[in-house]
This record gives sequence, structure tokens and C-alpha cells, in this order.
Amino acid sequence: MQILKKTNLKALEKAIKIGPQETIKILETKGLTGRGGAGFPTAKKWLFALNSQSDEKFVICNADEGEPGTFKDKFIIENNPETLVEGILIAATTISAKKAFIYLRGEYSHLEPKLKKAIKLVTQKSKAGIEIELVIGAGAYICGEETALIESIEGNRGQPHYQPPYPVVKGLWDKPTIVNNVETLTCAAQAILFDDWNTYLRLFSVSGNVTKPGVYELPFNVKLSEIMKLAQPKNKVKAVYFGCYGGCMPYKDIELTPENVCGESCIHGSCSIIVVDETNSILDLSYVVSKFFAYESCGKCTPCREGTIRALMIVRKIRSGQATEEDLKILQELGEHIGQTSLCGLGKSATNHLLTSLKHFRHDFEERLR
Amino acid sequence: MAETILSILRKEQKKNGYLSESLLKKISIKTKVPVSKLYGTASFYTMLRTKKQGINTIEICGSPACYLNGGLDLEKFLEKELKISFGQTTKDNKISILKTSCIGCCDKAPAMLLNDKPVTNLTEKKLKTILKRCKSSKKPI
Repeated sequence: MQILKKTNLKALEKAIKIGPQETIKILETKGLTGRGGAGFPTAKKWLFALNSQSDEKFVICNADEGEPGTFKDKFIIENNPETLVEGILIAATTISAKKAFIYLRGEYSHLEPKLKKAIKLVTQKSKAGIEIELVIGAGAYICGEETALIESIEGNRGQPHYQPPYPVVKGLWDKPTIVNNVETLTCAAQAILFDDWNTYLRLFSVSGNVTKPGVYELPFNVKLSEIMKLAQPKNKVKAVYFGCYGGCMPYKDIELTPENVCGESCIHGSCSIIVVDETNSILDLSYVVSKFFAYESCGKCTPCREGTIRALMIVRKIRSGQATEEDLKILQELGEHIGQTSLCGLGKSATNHLLTSLKHFRHDFEERLR
Repeated sequence: MAETILSILRKEQKKNGYLSESLLKKISIKTKVPVSKLYGTASFYTMLRTKKQGINTIEICGSPACYLNGGLDLEKFLEKELKISFGQTTKDNKISILKTSCIGCCDKAPAMLLNDKPVTNLTEKKLKTILKRCKSSKKPI
């Protein structure tokens, strides 16, 4: 696996030698984009932070991997934490930050000793004079959103705010801040050092009704049938979910190009594939996912706070056999409104799963109507 | 740089079991952060508890991957075995059961956190053994 290749401080050495501009240029040429799900070009983010004038800057590694069905960052922290730490040091060196943070989700606190050991080992050996502090979260899906994550490190409720200003201009304690995902930073170190580094290789988290779940490194546009060959479903596959926020589509053998996935009204994002087989009703899964979003809504903006609960109530009503066609209409409308009017990515994507379910699996809902 | 509020709250919780009103008042005096803000932060995060917990905390994962692998049956099993509902603590104060969002163990579903540590590939049999150990221990297992 490409992601397991160690850089042994050689990538940092090279980055220091060639300087910030050249380092960023390599990332641009190699085409590294954010692996947390948004896919923003990493070179651009670093360049904005480099060009922001300030006496102090920060780098934050986002290890708040909360998307259901996603466990690739955990895989990296378990198997190649040294290269991750080196990636953080490179980012900090590039934008002249003296301090970096790793925001590790509370549910992963059992990884703390391993990560701390890697931080100590690599920072001491590097002599870069950059301090890395490990902050452990306390269970809030929303803190994966970068502005909410910053609030959380500052000791506040982890609630997001409007962008701009973007964190690269005004971030942690109002200073220019890079927030990058675990996989992104690990890849940054590898992309800088290895000539044959390939940006199209991604880590897929595959789970659900399969006999061989796990993390697979595959080309970004891999065929769904290839994934099934590896993960070996128990029964005939009915649907795949792209995490919870990416929505669901009926299983068919397509290449996972952004166009193809988008054509099914889904988001490919952080390469999470939850496989659902024929024995399941999509309505029941809609209930599970709706509960998740209603619970994890941070409560800041009205459409998401109130809407996700209303949506859950309607799904519950359908499951109880009390709903009518009218309720489906309201659910559809509500889903669209929440998506269009919520403040941050959580709310904007909170009803993707409902809209795609209603589009592709309407029958599963209709058969339970009054 | 000063220690973050989040880590102070985590530490105090570890020491005292949960973040009571009187404890938050004490932390407030020490840190000079208003108690209202501390409570606001503490009540926002699932893993910070403002109510008394049992000696052992079980958080069962409710993610789709766990659901698809029989997570719901285990939830029912826990409630039946312990004769309490989620969010409650057993009378002998040994076990609290809670639900959690995805804990990232989808490849080893169903899974849960037992005192913050993951326990994976759960079965009723495995759970039964764990509950027994919790019941017979005076300390968190």
C-alpha cells in the first residue's frame, strides 16, 4: 500500500531544502486534494496560509473522523503515524507555524499512546522546533467541520460559523490556520518525497453486509464490482451508502467517477462504502441515519436543528404504518429545504440520504404507507 | 500555552466520574472561566457527562454498519439483561448504558466502547461475559 510507505524525515528535509514555494508547487503538480471529503486542493490552502500576514500561524490535523462507515484515518494512525507527524511538520514549516495541533476524536482516545509516541519520536528527531499538541475531542460529529473544530480547541461548544473568513486567514485564536485531514497530511509527506506517488489511489472504508470489511487502497474511480469482489457481500447487494452524508444508490456496476456518483445524486467524498443487501429495507436504514443526524445536529441554525428532528418524526411515522402519501411529499420538501438553507456542511448534507432514498427506493417507503 | 478547557474537563471527569455542578464551580474558580461557559461546553459533548454515571460505561454504536450486523438486537439484549433503558444506570451502580454515534469500528461490527475502549465483533455471549465481569468488580474493568 502506498499509504504505508515511510518517509523517515526525508520528506521534511527536502521541503526545508527547496523552500515553501517549491514545496507547494510539488503538491500542486502531484494533484493532492483534501481527503476529508471536500477535496479542496491542498496546495491552494497552504499557499493562502503562507501569504496571510501574521506573527503567529497554526496547523491543525483533523483526526475527528466521525463520518459513519469511515475508518481510514484510524488505519493510518494505527499503521503509519510517523509519516502523518512528518506531514504536519512539513505543513508547519511551509507556512512558518511554530505550533501544530492534532484534534483526535474522543472515540479514538485509545489511540492516544501510539500517537503521542510518534509525535515525540518524530518531533525530537526532526529538530524543526515545532511543537505538536494532541487535543482529544469529546464526542461531537460536527467537530470534523473545520470552524467547529477550531471552536472546540478554543474550549467552546463546537459550533461552526459562516465562512469567509476562512481559517487560512482567520482561524485558531484568529490567526491564519491550516486545517488538514489525517490522510491529506500523510499523503503530503509522501507526495513530496516519492516521484511515483499517485494521487488517484485512495483509501476506501468498506463495511456493512460484507464478509471481508476493511480499508482497501484502490484507484479513485474503481468499479463498484471490484470493491464487491474484495469485500465479498453475504447476499445480493441492494444498495450502497457513501457514508451517511453522501446518500445512497442502488447497486450497479459503475465506475466511481465524480460524474457517475453525482448522477445518482450522491457524494463520493471520503470514499466510505456501506454495503446493504437485499434482506434490508432502506426505510429502516433511513431511520437509523435520520436518528444520527438529528442527534448530531449542533443546534446552531434552525433548519438543521428543527428540520432533522421533524424529518426523523416523519420517518418514524412511516415505519409505524401511520403515514400517507402527503407525508412523503412533506419529507421530500423538508429534505430539500434543510439542504438548501442550513449553515454548514452537516445540515447541507443531512438529508442527502433521505432524498436519494426517496429517489431510488421509493417503493420501500410506499409499501409502509397507510 | 495554557491547557485547553476540553482537556481540563476530560481530566476532571476521569478523576471524579462526572462533571457535577459543584465540580464545575471549582474548575471555574481555578481557571477563571465562567461556570456557565464550562457547563455550556460540558453539556455540548456526548463524552462529557454532567450526570452521575455507573462504575462502568457501555456505549453501544448505532451506526448503519453496526445496525446491518445485528447492533439493534444487542441494544435490546442489553436493556433486557440489565433491566434498564439507555441513558440509565443499574441500581447497584455498576453499569451505565448509552448509545453513541459511529466509533469507527465498522470493519469489526457490531462494536461498542467499554470505558472508552473499543470492544468489537460483539455477540450476546461476549456481552454476557462482559456484564458479568462488570457486576463482580468494584472498579472499572
